[in-house]
Amino acid sequence: MANEETEALIGRVAMRDQKAFTTLYKRTSPKLYGVCLRIIGNRTDAEEVLQEVYVKIWQRAEQFAASEGPATPWLTAIARNRSIDFVRARKPVADEIDAAHDLADTEPGPEEQAIVKGEGRRIDRCMEELEADRARAVRSAYIEGLSYQELADQHSVPLNTMRTWLRRSLIRLRECMDR
Amino acid sequence: MSTPDQSKGGRSRDEVLAGEYVLGVLSLEDRQKVERRMRSDRQFAAIVSRWEQNLSEFNEEYEMVTPAKSVFPKIERRIFGDAALGAHLWNSLLVWRAVALGSLFLAAGVVVFTITNNGISRSVPGKQLTASLAGQNSAINLLADYDASSGRLKVTPVAAGKPEEKSLELWLIRGSDPAEALGVLPQTGEGEIVLPQELHGKLTEGAIIAVSIEPFGGSPTGKPTGDVVASGTIRFP
Repeated sequence: MANEETEALIGRVAMRDQKAFTTLYKRTSPKLYGVCLRIIGNRTDAEEVLQEVYVKIWQRAEQFAASEGPATPWLTAIARNRSIDFVRARKPVADEIDAAHDLADTEPGPEEQAIVKGEGRRIDRCMEELEADRARAVRSAYIEGLSYQELADQHSVPLNTMRTWLRRSLIRLRECMDR
Repeated sequence: MSTPDQSKGGRSRDEVLAGEYVLGVLSLEDRQKVERRMRSDRQFAAIVSRWEQNLSEFNEEYEMVTPAKSVFPKIERRIFGDAALGAHLWNSLLVWRAVALGSLFLAAGVVVFTITNNGISRSVPGKQLTASLAGQNSAINLLADYDASSGRLKVTPVAAGKPEEKSLELWLIRGSDPAEALGVLPQTGEGEIVLPQELHGKLTEGAIIAVSIEPFGGSPTGKPTGDVVASGTIRFP
């Protein structure tokens, strides 16, 4: 997907250009279907969710046209979010918010600056700084949309250990990328 | 859900929470809480979108898989519906704005006209009066032609800007075929487009008519080159 062309297409979709929408679907659906299928795991449900994804894209194209991010990550985020919502609804997991966000405070650095300044390092380099099993857990959480419990089972560690692994890894990744 | 917190601890918690959301490990309910907070807390939304950008490098691992052919027609049905939701020819915000604005001017114009020209128009049968109706930042203007003898007021869209610079061109789009030119709307607002014989049978229900801004006289390439300002599906009224 050439980002610029895809961006132009989304701009036309925002203007309710149905032909542009058809072209956008042709061009992007193999990637987005790949996302849905990887996370959901079966074709029937993945195709159902893919429909929702494109309905969302049609509805939100105007928002994208107003923002200035690149197109492919935006589209992929919609596909990932819809797919993860689907698997979480199918197989509920325990809530995390307000439970045990009790991490040792590391140094987050000057916060405001962190948001406006450009990204320091690529994630790959920072991933190399994590222990191998934690880096694997971060990666498969993202790519397969696994829950804490599923990750704990996959790595044969207690649930709490997995929570700590991922949360500490997130803090270390953020520190590394801000460096 | 924690309230926006500027302390280090709050920031660090927000970083983790946003990261957990983007990784996808949270429960459905927590995901919805995060999304609600993103809508009300711009700083937090920025943290989430930074994680999205950072982690998007992992997207390369997703493989391309072609979905079944039956999926797209279902999407079209969901969006455009059997009742042709949103598929009316002039269902474009831009055009509606121009029309709404235009009709305001028009209402004023017609009133002035009847007062100042009362009596005169009858003595000059067939005389045409015109008004160009413009909206701010609109890609199109509306040209109103009034034929005093018949009482006929005709309103035609034309490209905004100097007449010799731009034209509005109409296109027909059938399925996935390339757009076919239906013709250029006369910049004078006069006349209609007469379709070539070979196109007569092609304007059927479900086909799309679109209008684009083109260089004066129409697209030099035979394909739309400028912005599409309006499009819609043909349907039975």
